[in-house]
Amino acid sequence: MSKKRSLPVVLSAFLLIGSLLSGCGSNNNNAGASSSAASPSAATESSPSASPSESASPSASAAQEVTLKIGAAAVPHAEILEFVKPKLKAEGVNLDIVVFDDEGQLNPALKDGQIEANYFQHVPYLDSVKKEQGYDFAVTTKVHVEPIGFYSSKLKSKDEIKEGAKIGIPNNPSNEYRALVLLQQQGLIKLKEGLTTYEATPKDIADNPLKLKFVEADSATLPRSLPDLDGAIINTNLVLEAKLDPNSALFREDANSPYANVIVVRAGDESKDEIKKLDAALTTPEVKQFIQDKYGVAVVPAF
Amino acid sequence: MRDDLVDLLWAALRQTLYMVFWSSIFALALGIALGVALVVTGKDGVLRAPRINKLLSLLVNSVRSLPFIILIVLLLPLSRLIVGTTLGPTAAIVSLSIGASPFLGRIIENSLKEVHPGKLEAAKAMGATPLTIIFRVLIPEALPALVRSITIAVIAITEFTAVAGAIGAGGLGSLAIRFGYQRFREDIMYATVILIIALVQAIQWTGDGIAAAIVRRRTRAD
Repeated sequence: MSKKRSLPVVLSAFLLIGSLLSGCGSNNNNAGASSSAASPSAATESSPSASPSESASPSASAAQEVTLKIGAAAVPHAEILEFVKPKLKAEGVNLDIVVFDDEGQLNPALKDGQIEANYFQHVPYLDSVKKEQGYDFAVTTKVHVEPIGFYSSKLKSKDEIKEGAKIGIPNNPSNEYRALVLLQQQGLIKLKEGLTTYEATPKDIADNPLKLKFVEADSATLPRSLPDLDGAIINTNLVLEAKLDPNSALFREDANSPYANVIVVRAGDESKDEIKKLDAALTTPEVKQFIQDKYGVAVVPAF
Repeated sequence: MRDDLVDLLWAALRQTLYMVFWSSIFALALGIALGVALVVTGKDGVLRAPRINKLLSLLVNSVRSLPFIILIVLLLPLSRLIVGTTLGPTAAIVSLSIGASPFLGRIIENSLKEVHPGKLEAAKAMGATPLTIIFRVLIPEALPALVRSITIAVIAITEFTAVAGAIGAGGLGSLAIRFGYQRFREDIMYATVILIIALVQAIQWTGDGIAAAIVRRRTRAD
């Protein structure tokens, strides 16, 4: 009998303890979440005194500060974003920069809402993937061009490209086309008329007077394989990451190339306050100066 | 379907066959040596050498733990040294052979371990030297299992060749990725898939056929 009577008491005691524990737990979680959201920027940015003051008054700063999570390629994208981060912080936007190893994941992540914006692609690339993948994205601003260029460890000038020279070009659709278009601008080849998409391969070459041989390889392979080629057309970000001198390009795209890297958001988000602040912060004369000082010819401001 | 389909497929098929053929031969040579070495230096082996065994095992595991694309990049200098270039199907053969041989070594080791220890004991009792035991007992006894293991490995090499497109080696896998996937050419996607399935089937049937023939001849001899 006594056992039966005590059962409700025990149960209610458990419930009480349980609710206390879970209450505690969720309080802890809240505190943990807000401090961890604030800490990356505080840690990477500046004064160590900033972080205690923030965690002391989490409610006050959380109300004004908006965290904007942006996915980016490592160089120069993330570096340019880091440069504008303090300015945005002052305007109440906490820029959370996530560098993706696999740039192919940046658009899916934006679509899924894991990030609010991305900064790694140019419009032709976005056009080539958005229809098939069902992306409903908006381009907010052009930031920079990384002119694709022709590099060689053997030749010193364009005139030294001889008949039958072996030229490395990227094997992914948009960059392969871009590489062939650059060769066409330089008068080395002529592409077929009427190519409507941003895609072409050496099969689409109508005229190849020097009988150039093309090796289509992964972009990241090309800097490593330069000694085995007469030259290769390499994207600037890879040139920078491979520690090649971007000034050593024999020729490159000019600044008004359609391949400017842009900020991309989900359609409808372009009117959001924090996105507008980001766009404004990225297109200032200071950023222009920063890009020119830091990257020279390798990265050209596109605003 | 467009007019360039056949040309693209034919070129890619030739590149794949070229890579699979030569990589299999080199990987087989390395893999059999590794597999035999792993068995004979192991516990109960005829040339017991625990330290060498551990070292070999570590080597095999290290190479096997690398993603193939990383292995290709790591081996670029070796490719340049051996075949004089880091690009194209011939350069890929270097990485493919070295990448596949530890896998081959392991499955060959497993096949050889299936040989009944009694047979090795008997040979030893008759005064056979370790070399005689390896070449007259161990390998012949395990032959059908070895052929089946090698079949698995050749199919694995076929899969590996898909990655070799990164260094401009071409091949069916690269064609499927670059045109079928990235350029949304579904005719190419399906055609390459069918060709790859047919190729893998052909390899499997050949392997099964050889293994069955060996078993048949052996039972007749018995």
